Amino acid sequence: MMCEELKDVYELYALGLAEGPEKVEIEAHLARGCESCERGVKDARAMNAMLLATSPSVKPPRRLKRRVMSSVGIKHSGWGWAAGLAAACLLLITLWLGVEERQRSAELADARRTLIQVRGQRDQLRQAMNLLNQPETREIGFGKGQAAPRGNVFVNPSSGVLLVAPNLPPLARGKIYEMWIIPKGGAPRPAGLFAADTSSGGVNLMPGAVDLASLGAVAVTVEPEAGSPAPTSQPIIFAPVAGP
Amino acid sequence: MFLKLLPAGLAYGILQVALRFKNDRELARHLKARDPHAISDLYDRYGRLTYSVICRIVHNAAAAEDLVQETFLRVWTRVQSFDQERGALGPWILTIARHRAIDHLRSIEGRMPAGGSEIDRLEHAALFTDFEISALSIDRARRIRAAFEKLNPNQRMVIELAYFEGLSQTEMAGRMKQPLGNVKSWVRSALKALRDELTQAAIA
Repeated sequence: MMCEELKDVYELYALGLAEGPEKVEIEAHLARGCESCERGVKDARAMNAMLLATSPSVKPPRRLKRRVMSSVGIKHSGWGWAAGLAAACLLLITLWLGVEERQRSAELADARRTLIQVRGQRDQLRQAMNLLNQPETREIGFGKGQAAPRGNVFVNPSSGVLLVAPNLPPLARGKIYEMWIIPKGGAPRPAGLFAADTSSGGVNLMPGAVDLASLGAVAVTVEPEAGSPAPTSQPIIFAPVAGP
Repeated sequence: MFLKLLPAGLAYGILQVALRFKNDRELARHLKARDPHAISDLYDRYGRLTYSVICRIVHNAAAAEDLVQETFLRVWTRVQSFDQERGALGPWILTIARHRAIDHLRSIEGRMPAGGSEIDRLEHAALFTDFEISALSIDRARRIRAAFEKLNPNQRMVIELAYFEGLSQTEMAGRMKQPLGNVKSWVRSALKALRDELTQAAIA
């Protein structure tokens, strides 16, 4: 037979399944060093291996490696995976601690900020209560009959000016409320920045002595977040202070 | 879990990255030197693939374990004949594994086992040389699998019977109750389609 007639059975030959005259012929070709058949059978071996490798993957039991190692006289400790696992765990713990540390630092910084804020609010509240309890404190209402904002300004000659606007709406990001003290016949002077929230509205205290004789009004405008040295918008609160 | 979804050949390819010896040549050199790490690495590299092929043939986990053990023992004892410079470990191991599994199948089905000397001749280490480095590459495994899926049912059946049940064409004709001529025609056309696919893969 010619090599051409044999090429269809190279794979079967390599699998040990060739039969009859074809098998005899291939063996004869190989025995006499037929390069074409040698190459054909070699390629067939490669294809056979490739086809076998398309088998669905099945995970062997862990003990099988131990058996294989033992069968060739090598003791398999079986702890390689444990060392790998331990290393992986260590790495995870280290990473976790790192993340945890960063998270804790961030939380701590948040807590410090909150504490400072709370202390500030507590001090402001104490001052506000002190101002409200003094008999010489004057109450000036504003916005009466309006939907919003409504509230009161409390003025004390020695303790300062307290603004309470319970329904002052929160502002968009980048904006802030600024309180102004407006002397009679003078330009508005900045009296503190404050935010408002939906639950308590806006409260702002300007501590310190106030000359009631020259005080013309207390006003609030919406300003850029950093505040302004002079109002840049129309007042949303304007509370005129009548003379003493 | 991920590996479970892949054909054994693809899973094998993915596992290459984690092994101690960088290629089969280095691994074969250490196997010949009886380096204990080498047999461990050989198992890590080909154990799952071997077990998968054997399971597909014998459909019995306990028997598959015995046959994997026999396969690796045979590799260990015959590796001195393996050409570490030109040899291809994967195809050699799979050939040995298939012979062990088909022999097991034949014995439990009461079929005539293949002769020991013929098996020795067909799986001799020296025959598995000058294969392309990509003999069991992921790309080829995908292509051959896709080509196999495209075969018609009779062609697929004869390939299954030959590769995974070890039936000769005469035995296939008996099993399928079909004329031998038909079986030969299906075998020829199926193998040609698969061969052509591999040739295309080699060109690409």
